[in-house]
Amino acid sequence: MPKRYEPYRSRPWESMNQPDTIPDTIPFAAPPLALEAEVARLIVTVLHLENKPEEIDPEAPLFGEGLGLDSIDALELALAISREYGIELKSDDERNRRIFASLRALAAHIGAARVR
Amino acid sequence: MPPLPERFSLLPRAETAALFQTARGVVRGGEFLAASARLAALLPTGMPAGSTVLNLCEDRLSFALGFAAAMIAGFRSALSSDHSPARARDLATRLGAAAILSEAAIGESAAPPAPWRTITVDPATLLTGATEAREQVPNPEIAGETPAAEVFTSGSTGEPVAHRKTWGALHARSLAAASRFELGASDAGADGPVSVVGTVPPQHMYGFETTILLAFHCPVTVWCGPTFFPHDIAAALAAMPAPRLLITTPLQLRALLDAALPLPPLALVISATAPLAPDLAARAEARWQTRVAEIFGATEAGSIASRMTTSGEIWEAYPGLRLAAAAEGAAADGTTADGVVSVTAPYAGTVALADALELLTPARFRLLGRRSDVVKLGGKRASLAALTRILTAIEGVEDGVFVAPGDLDAEPTARLLAFVVAPGREPGEILAALRREIDPIFLPRRVIPLPRLPRNAFGKLSAAHLAALAGPPASS
Repeated sequence: MPKRYEPYRSRPWESMNQPDTIPDTIPFAAPPLALEAEVARLIVTVLHLENKPEEIDPEAPLFGEGLGLDSIDALELALAISREYGIELKSDDERNRRIFASLRALAAHIGAARVR
Repeated sequence: MPPLPERFSLLPRAETAALFQTARGVVRGGEFLAASARLAALLPTGMPAGSTVLNLCEDRLSFALGFAAAMIAGFRSALSSDHSPARARDLATRLGAAAILSEAAIGESAAPPAPWRTITVDPATLLTGATEAREQVPNPEIAGETPAAEVFTSGSTGEPVAHRKTWGALHARSLAAASRFELGASDAGADGPVSVVGTVPPQHMYGFETTILLAFHCPVTVWCGPTFFPHDIAAALAAMPAPRLLITTPLQLRALLDAALPLPPLALVISATAPLAPDLAARAEARWQTRVAEIFGATEAGSIASRMTTSGEIWEAYPGLRLAAAAEGAAADGTTADGVVSVTAPYAGTVALADALELLTPARFRLLGRRSDVVKLGGKRASLAALTRILTAIEGVEDGVFVAPGDLDAEPTARLLAFVVAPGREPGEILAALRREIDPIFLPRRVIPLPRLPRNAFGKLSAAHLAALAGPPASS
């Protein structure tokens, strides 16, 4: 029996409004606040946002409602994360939805996966 | 003169031809047709001629199966880049769609029951059954004038506008692209099929033509897997045999260069959706030892010309098209007729382009820029006038205007701005109201409150004055 063909999502960050079918059994540990502030600064700098880093609600969604980022931002952010922390984001990573869910989730992922 | 009625096979390629490649393996012509027929059997019957199927599949193989199934069952496919469930349902309602195809349920509204059938496309099940059954596969001969697709763009009023594509027009354009980019005439060629890795959604006209239709009509094998992040693209290219063709956008090309990942040899890179900076093309050519081509096109006309970006600014029209300067005053939207060019193609009639062109010969031109107030972001278009109308219709907004910064085409982080006169309302409230109405990519990155807009004696707004009020771009 061949392995089930898994259709991919072409916009991996965009599923936050849909039921999350991935069991959330391993919650991200809360990241150190210093890293959270650093990632907030990275987001503001890389995307040329008008917001001040400390104004970003750490629990609010980064995409759609909340900070209101879009698809082009996702690509820019992925590049910056790769450059700064050596983390390569991939679309088939099932955790993407949670990684991009909020500033806190993103910082937690970076804290856990960074290689520099 | 209209061409004689002709018919074109749904799949002119051989039963053994490699059409698509997934992480699981290659999908060949025979099994693809059989799987499409299985999906076609799930579509409603007894619908009026010309009924549509809304194809929301993001996975290229799922999308291609859905498109072929619609053709087999006599439906035309509706393609829209807007996949938000609410707007997809609105579009299906407006079209009187017979079915919605997607990989995941889009969430039905509670009541009344939707008039369309919702079908979850699962290539694995469709292909497994197809291989086991070995049934007689249908490969219908389809008349050239048969409408095959309705591709939607946002119109100047904000409502989606349909652009009809006949099967003959799509077929002819694939062959023109194959000739222009030397993709070979048959699967029996010396090098085998060309491996295509595309990063553009199949619902976008450029993605539809290059990553779906080329697989139907030309000796190419198209990658079906994620291609969003640089890492995805590198992995897809490594999974495919040479010769490799990368079909992408300036944004993703730049991201791929910046990521500096090792790539296997690339025979050609094609970019479209926005102008590609020549220095970016030169970097790509030097880094990957390849050539970089650009396609010029538009949803209403499809791909119509190409150029080698580092060889100059002149575009060469695809073979078989006729470009002509439109008559004085031909621009329907009231803008100047300077540079208005119409394109005539087999089975496609004549359409006027939204971009201004300077025709050097009937087959060569220089791009002069956009003719109207249409802005383009992330491959999507919107009219500044339409966005402004939405802004000024918000409760509490007395006056307002959407503005495109000067670096919108060149700077990936550039977005629109909005100036508003709205005493008593916070910019955040206005942004929230806009978010309910417009595509996220066109939301203003800054909503700048003003006591009044700098209108001149005739009520017109000066672009220079507004630019001064906005201050320097955030990127500088």
